[in-house]
This record gives sequence, C-alpha cells and structure tokens, in this order.
Amino acid sequence: MKAKLSILITMMVMLFGTLGFSQISPAKIHASDSQDSTYKRIKERGYITLGTSPDYAPYEFQTTQNGKSTDVGMDISIAKKIAKDLGVKLKIKNMDFDSLLVGLQTHKVDMILAGMNPSPAREKSVDFSNVYYNGGQSILINKKDAGLYKDKSSFVNKKVAAQTGSIQYNLAKKQISGASVTGIEKGTDLILALQTNKVDGVVMEKPSAEAFAANNPSLKVIKGGFKLSGTDSSTAVALPKNSPVLKVHINSTIKEIKDQGLIPQYLKEAGSHLKSNTVNTSMSHYWKFFALGVGYTLLISVCSVFFGFLTGTLLAFMRLSKNKIFHAIAVAYIEFVRGTPLMVQLMFVYFGLGLFVNLPALTAGIIAVSLNSGAYVAEVIRGGINSIDKGQTEAAQSLGLSSRDQMRFVIMPQALKNIWPALGNEFISLIKESSIVSIIGVTDLIYQLKIVQSDTYRGVAPIVVAMVLYFVMTFSLSKVLEHYEGKFNHA
Amino acid sequence: MPKELIKIENLTKKFGENTILKNISAVVNEGDVISVVGPSGAGKSTFLRCITLLEKPSGGNVFLEGDNLVGKSDKELEQVRQKVGMVFQNFNLFPNLSVLQNLTLAPIKVKKTNEAQAKKEALALLEQVGLADKADAYPESLSGGQKQRVAIARALAMKPDVMLFDEPTSALDPEMVGEVLDVMKQLAKDGMTMVVVTHEMGFAKSVSNQVWFMENADIQEKTEPNQFFEQPTTERAQEFLSKILES
Repeated sequence: MKAKLSILITMMVMLFGTLGFSQISPAKIHASDSQDSTYKRIKERGYITLGTSPDYAPYEFQTTQNGKSTDVGMDISIAKKIAKDLGVKLKIKNMDFDSLLVGLQTHKVDMILAGMNPSPAREKSVDFSNVYYNGGQSILINKKDAGLYKDKSSFVNKKVAAQTGSIQYNLAKKQISGASVTGIEKGTDLILALQTNKVDGVVMEKPSAEAFAANNPSLKVIKGGFKLSGTDSSTAVALPKNSPVLKVHINSTIKEIKDQGLIPQYLKEAGSHLKSNTVNTSMSHYWKFFALGVGYTLLISVCSVFFGFLTGTLLAFMRLSKNKIFHAIAVAYIEFVRGTPLMVQLMFVYFGLGLFVNLPALTAGIIAVSLNSGAYVAEVIRGGINSIDKGQTEAAQSLGLSSRDQMRFVIMPQALKNIWPALGNEFISLIKESSIVSIIGVTDLIYQLKIVQSDTYRGVAPIVVAMVLYFVMTFSLSKVLEHYEGKFNHA
Repeated sequence: MPKELIKIENLTKKFGENTILKNISAVVNEGDVISVVGPSGAGKSTFLRCITLLEKPSGGNVFLEGDNLVGKSDKELEQVRQKVGMVFQNFNLFPNLSVLQNLTLAPIKVKKTNEAQAKKEALALLEQVGLADKADAYPESLSGGQKQRVAIARALAMKPDVMLFDEPTSALDPEMVGEVLDVMKQLAKDGMTMVVVTHEMGFAKSVSNQVWFMENADIQEKTEPNQFFEQPTTERAQEFLSKILES
C-alpha cells in the first residue's frame, strides 16, 4: 500500500530520538510490558483517537451527512467497534497518509486504521494487530479494452500504473514482465490516467478497484494473478510500540468481527455511502467543501502574513543591529529557514514541537508558514531600509529625532513604499505555499480538493475549481496591494 | 565680550590612513557669520559634520555652549542636536511627508510642541522663506531652490542657536542660487549665528564677518573678508583666489 514519504518522516523521528527528544517522555515511548501507558491514557481520557486518511474508498472516505462532512468506510466501522468494545468514545483525526506513522509515534493518535499493510519496515517503528482484512490485488482497465486484457500476463509492452511506493507498485515492477510501470501519488489521479489513456491498466487493491468500477461505468476490474506473500495485501491496525493491553483488546475485537462475518456488512454499508456520494458529482454540489477550503486557506494566509510581517520586521532590525549577538541570531535564522523546505519545517513544528506541546494542526500550520515567511520578509525589509539614502537619516538626526522616531516617521515609510511590490510577491506566494499544510490534515483548499476528487471520482474538474479559487484570492490581493501602492504616491 | 557658542579643540578626523582634519582649533561666537572656503577635498564638509558629530571625530573635543559633545551617547546627542540646525547640499527633505509635515515633525516629536502651535510656527517660517503657498505640497513637486528654502525653514523650526550650512547652493541650477542666498542673508541680518561652507565668494565677502580658509586638512587662515579677498596672507590662499577669479 502507501509508503511514500513515511521513510522521510521516520528518519525525522529517529533524528529527534538521537537529539534526545525521546528521552523527554521515555515512559510513553518505551513503556515496559507491565504497564501499557497508551491503554491507561485512553481509559483515563474516555476516548481513543483514530488516525486515518480518508481518501481511500471503501476503506475510508468522506461523505456529507446532514450538511457535515463525515468519515465513513470499513475501517471507520471497525474503529467504532473497537472503541465500543473498549468502553470509550471514538475521536477521528484526519491527516495525510504519510504523516500517520509519525502521528502515532508522537501520540497525536492512539491507533491507525487506514488500509495499512503491516510491512516489516513499518513494524520497526510501530506495532500491528492481527490482520483484519485480506483484499487481494486486482487490475483496473477501461471497459472498452475488456477483450485485450485477462490478467497480469496480458500487459507485455503496455503501460501500467500504481501508487508510488506502494506494494502494488512493487508487485507490478517485479511480476508484470515486459510492461513499463509508472508511479502516481493519488488514487484518483491513477483513475484519471487510465481514463485519459495515459496508461492501460492500474494495479490496485481489490476492494478499492471494485469501488472505482462500481461508480464508474467505463471501468472494469480483472483479476491480478499475482503471486502474493503472506502480508502483501493484508491490512491491520497500527498501534504504538509496547502497548500489549491495547493490542489484546483490539485483537479480540478483530476476532469477533471475523467470527460474526461483519466485514461484508461493513463493505456494503460503505458502498451505500459511495452511491449516495456519487449521485451528484457536479462541482456546485460540493461548494461547501470548496468554501470551507477557501476559508481555511484565507485564515492561514491572513494570520501568516500578519505574523510573518512582524517576525520579518523584528529579524530585519536584528540583522541591521550593531549588537553582534542579535545580528548573528538573525543571520542564522534567515539562512537556515531559507535553506530548508517549508514542508520539513511544517513537520518539525507539528510533530517535533508536538513532543513538548500538543499543537493543533491549524496552529502548527500557521506557526510554520509565519516563521518561514518571516525569513523572506526580513530580507525584503532589510533591502528596503538599506535602499534609503543616508542623507535622510542624517537630516532626521540633525533635527534631534530619536533613532526610533527616525525609523518610524522617516525611514520605514519610504522603505515600505520601495519594497511594496516585493512584499506583494511574498504574500501572494504565501497564499499558494500555505497549501502545504494539507499534509498534516488542515482542511485548506488543497485538502478539500483531494477530498472532492476522491468523493466524486472526478480528477480534473476539482483541480480547475481550486485553480480558479486560488487565482481569485491572489488576484484580489494584488488589486488591494495596487490600491495601497497608489496611495504612497500622494496621487 | 561676545558669548562663545562653539569651541573646537584639536579636532582630528581620519578615515583609515587618510587624515581629513588635522588638529584643528577654532571658536564660533554668538552672532558670527563664518564662511568656510577652500578647494574641493580640503575637508570643509567633514569639518562641519564633525561639529554636530554626524561624523565622529578621531580626536579632540567639540564644545557647544561649554558642553563637550565628544564621548556623548547617541541618546545624549539627540538633546544637543536640536540646538544646531543643519542644511545639506542635497536638501534631504523627507519625501514621504508634506512640506508642512517636514517642518512640524521634529518640533512635535522632539520638543513635544502641540500640533496647532507647531503648525502655526511652521506656516510663519514658510512665510519667511516665501513658500507659504507650498505648505501642503510634497517635496517632489518643488524646484531645487524651493526645496532648499524648505530645508532651511525645517532647521529653523527647531529654533536652533546656530545654523550650519553644508554647500547649500552647490546642487542648484544657477538661476536658483539667488533665492536661497537671499534667505540666508536675511537670516544673518536677523542675528543668527551661522557657519557656511560655500563656494559663493560674493556671499562670503558681503555677508560673513569671518572667512576661514581650509586646505590640506587644516584651517590656514581666519580673517575678515575684506582682508582675505584683498590681501590673503598665505601663499595657498593667494593661489586659491587667483584660480577662482580666473574662471
């Protein structure tokens, strides 16, 4: 299944470990077998937090119930039963699939059900319950090609796609001889590639393939015919290392589900949500999703522009300061922040600082984007201040103005006018770059775009809508900035 | 005995290995109008800027009304600089503020004059320099001569005890020099103490009561204007004057 970025994230967690972060809470991470702190915490709080990534029907996906977007699917049904059997409430935390394992290790969530495959690599960092479902692997093709393909052996000299870094991808690489294999990130994009004839077949887990085919009359599922090892298509619940009591409880729930044959019932229920989801796939039907996304994107952008500007101004003054320590701190900060990707900074704030303070994803997102933007704004402001003729400072000095008043009434107003276009650039790119917060589950426009894509099985239309919405936001901002630029010129 | 306003003692300024001012001592008394003349690169502007410590002297002392400015902190200098008006070659008006605001900024922020009073005084000063109608204009819309008159008014708004002029007419078109000099002549007449670095020999001769001739990082002569222009004592001053008169 999906693995992609989790390697990077795992490395980050290991880095925190070597830095001594893990020693802060050794009891939590290295609990001895006799005391299961996760279980204890769940019972004390009265709820268990499920981490999942709702873009993988029929395992987990979102549907609109009573005007509210809710997670549904087989995994959600199982999680509900686990919570019920434990006698606690269920809380669901949505995040990017790649972020789930780190979320578990940093106690943002207590368990993961996300169609996750208990691979040996993952078992190094987390524990797994018994397997609760074994779906098998299929190949999805266009119905019009039904006569051409029978199973994996029919794809000599053809193009096959699978999710990047997934088990299906490895199977296709190793077992479909003579075919060229493409990796694509998202399930919905895979379908898009197939429908637009970019590829001839898509290797996919059986239940997902069947869900796609059921909702899309132009698609057909054929059997894969892959040689599978024990865990290749199985899914299990991920839980923190050293949580034996919790594991026993979950395993007993799984056993019950199997004994009572509840899985087919769960799948059928998921299917009914899928049907109601796809009754109306027009974009206007999903306006609430997009509106919510725009709301969050604007919230993050406005906060980050504000705090980014404050941080940037502070850093610019520190860098221009004669005080060597301030200067050095500012230089180091600016160089480091500009020299590392925003995505890594975001993960550092959310998961890294998350070891000390439990920051909600939205707050973490605003902090990361603000701190990042601050570094760039600082350089813009510094450039603006340096661009003002020395004579201005001298004239202000000779009138006896304090250095603060010189800055406030003489230098900054002129600098601001000079750097206005550059600041505008920075703020416009901030709106766009804020989209990275979707990886930690902030429901911004990009996040909603993905949800609508997986809900409607339509790839392009939501992209177009999101693109137009981003453009409307950035264009409005640039008009506002233009208005104020005019004001500087005393016109 | 006239009151001693500025006393300069063994003033030295070096930029790296370059000595710009060498061990200069001089006194400015109340009511003096002193023209500082000399060839380019003699250190005239640096000398003027050292008086208000816009340049930090490398050695020596500068006393303003008996108070030594050398060694004062930036904060303490703010207090002192209000007493010394400075007019620059390039005007250095604040382009983000209107003419009136250029004049009222420092009185309001530094002297804590209330706004109405500051405006009233500023308008009177603009009247004095003949620019009352430009109060709400922005500097970019003014001619060079008008800018410099505003700059003079801005310095006067702080009611300084002494005014320093750093080549106030050098950046002006020839036809605008007159209007600025007229304002300065009127100031001198009104009894303002002035130190003027200038190339305008006519002004030096007719308005000032002393001419300081600078060359080679030092003041070579301090004399009355008539004597300086008719019988300069040093060979260097003679050379300088003959070059000026040739052109």
